[in-house]
Amino acid sequence: MTSDTVPAAGTAPQRRRSARPVLAPWLFLAPAIALFALFLLIPMGYAIFLSFVALRVEGGAFGTRQQVFVGFENYVTALTNPEFVASLGRLAIFGLIAVPLTLGLALLFALLLDLPGVRATRFARTSIFLPYAVPGVIATLLWGFMYLPSTSPFNYVLELVGLPPIDFLGPTGVFGALANIAIWGGVGFNMIIMFTALRSIPSEIYEAAKLDGASEWQIAWRIKIPLLSPALLLTLLFSLIATLQAYSEPMTLKTMSNSISYSFFPLMKVYRDAFGVDNISGAAATSVVLALGTLIVSLLLLRVLQRRTFEEVR
Amino acid sequence: MNRKTMTRVAAAGAVLATAIATAGCAAGSTDEGPITLQYWTWAPGVPAVVDVWNEQNPDIQVEVVQPAGADDILAKVLAAQRAGEGPDMFAAEYQKLPNFVVSDAAYDITDLVGDAKGDFTDSTWGLVTIGGSVYAVPQDTGPMIFMYRADLFDQYGLEVPTTWDDYAALAATVKEVAPTSYLGGYPDDASTFIAYAQPLGAEWWSTDGDSWSVGIDEAPSQRVAEFWQPLVEQGLIDTTHFFTPEWNTMMNDGTLLSWTAGIWAPGAIASVAPDTEGLWRAAPMPSWDGEEEVGLMGGSSAMVGKTSKHPEAAVKFLTWLNGSQEGSSLLAAGGLFPASIAGQESLSSLEVPAIVAGQTDFWTLAADIASKTAPITWGPNVQVAFDTYGDGIRAATQNGGSYVDVLAATQTAVANDLKQTGFTVK
Repeated sequence: MTSDTVPAAGTAPQRRRSARPVLAPWLFLAPAIALFALFLLIPMGYAIFLSFVALRVEGGAFGTRQQVFVGFENYVTALTNPEFVASLGRLAIFGLIAVPLTLGLALLFALLLDLPGVRATRFARTSIFLPYAVPGVIATLLWGFMYLPSTSPFNYVLELVGLPPIDFLGPTGVFGALANIAIWGGVGFNMIIMFTALRSIPSEIYEAAKLDGASEWQIAWRIKIPLLSPALLLTLLFSLIATLQAYSEPMTLKTMSNSISYSFFPLMKVYRDAFGVDNISGAAATSVVLALGTLIVSLLLLRVLQRRTFEEVR
Repeated sequence: MNRKTMTRVAAAGAVLATAIATAGCAAGSTDEGPITLQYWTWAPGVPAVVDVWNEQNPDIQVEVVQPAGADDILAKVLAAQRAGEGPDMFAAEYQKLPNFVVSDAAYDITDLVGDAKGDFTDSTWGLVTIGGSVYAVPQDTGPMIFMYRADLFDQYGLEVPTTWDDYAALAATVKEVAPTSYLGGYPDDASTFIAYAQPLGAEWWSTDGDSWSVGIDEAPSQRVAEFWQPLVEQGLIDTTHFFTPEWNTMMNDGTLLSWTAGIWAPGAIASVAPDTEGLWRAAPMPSWDGEEEVGLMGGSSAMVGKTSKHPEAAVKFLTWLNGSQEGSSLLAAGGLFPASIAGQESLSSLEVPAIVAGQTDFWTLAADIASKTAPITWGPNVQVAFDTYGDGIRAATQNGGSYVDVLAATQTAVANDLKQTGFTVK
């Protein structure tokens, strides 16, 4: 925003409302708005439209499928499908293992790195963060070969010691296997967020606490963690959303394990419905349900925890 | 920036936008001249054959695009057609043909194929005839053969099984003489299972006038399921799915002594276990009761897209490629097992695949097997059957469930899916 008059030296600048409409901010925003509309709003709208139609055959054994309006039928089918409900259950098991462990480990590492007198911080930070930089598919392939009975180093060591091998890719082990990949990749990112938040705590608080005779453990438990609650809430939210969208890990591991079905997690079922059996409307309905569910969970979480966390900071 | 600059920027933007919008329209109109057809396929040997056609036919040029493998091509073609830019021709496995027809993606070429029917056997032509109309030209077929490690069979003193009962007995013998090896695998995916059940007359889908019948859990399929269940339960048969890294390792180190698959198996084995070149031999698939007909696994055809603007030229190209002596012998040289009679006859002039080097009668055997294939009808929701069966059989193997129950569950899923799409199911 420019104005025609230049204030005289020594006087306070006088703000004069310009009579011209302000276009520059809109022009700067235009590319972002265009991309947002093109790649987010319009596809979302189309998906919602698709969820209300379906392809039905009219006439004969080889009649062609036509698009007809079916109202909420796709949603009813999606919600009452036992496969969908089962996939949500499996996702819950996976989430219950992965999310607490990821956040717990991230918090632990962040606190450890924040201790005074700790050495090799840069190396530690980089090496903890490095797994996050590995793309999900590659990480899954990497871990997959470490899980396969014939190439697993863990089972090799167990055999040497005389213990029975662990079936990583069996029906119960596969949850731990998938969670492990998620934890391995997710700890670094969450740790960086928490570490940055810790770094922004003024050190006078620590000095005051030490004067009162607090040990490092008490400082961590009573000062750092409560002050970290906004960061914890943020990472919890991110982790929950990422868990609900778990897709590339189970899809890649599926080629190596007999225990992962086509609808192991909800998003796998959506992909298979849309592109495997050409039921794109059913897939659209399922994904709308998933998105709404994610939205509700996030809002609930924020509402319940926001007051507590943000008021304490103030 | 000031008003003048802003006006200029806005004007430039408007001009640019108009230019982009109209550029799209201009490309559509064509005048008479050489036409270019787009052909979507995944087979690696096809581009070389298309080059030969392009030289001989300057007025009908064909451009080969390889956008997807066999599994993904349905989704890609449908997406392209719905966007209004579908390919003129594309390759499709036989089991996906009804799906394409029902999704309105296929051009009815019954009136355009002319005499091409004579280039193929009746049962092969039946694979591309759907509801009385022809929708594709057969390209390659996959009649089942029994591939086995001749060197290990000699080493352990094993005889090639001619019936499935022989096979079961042989599997037990293998575990005695070579405890860490397996005779082979079991049908843990539906296309293998259906190929085993075809010679017994299994009809997973059949039409009766305007309605469908689903016969997945009928007697022939149940017999196949009940044959394999005890073999798996007693640990006589390996349960690793083919083409997984574990399976590739086992093919390489001789843990697996045989593989029953389509006639394309030599090429597939060579790609995962090239060091076993020359150690394999091919034999006819074991029979159930001495019948000669074998099942089919895989194999593809070439279809004309519904949105094509030059269907006659497309059919002319496809009948040359797949039916004529010249085209199909070139395909054979490129590694496909051609579906046409002329193509199969031309095989005898080729070298046998390296993986079975030393078996000089391989092509004669192949042509003989290919001439006696059992007929099959595919339904419009093959993927539902494949997914339900695949998930179910693997879960049953893991948890000790009954294979016959898996068939029943697949039957229910397929019949319900057909009804939900609007078909009449008897």
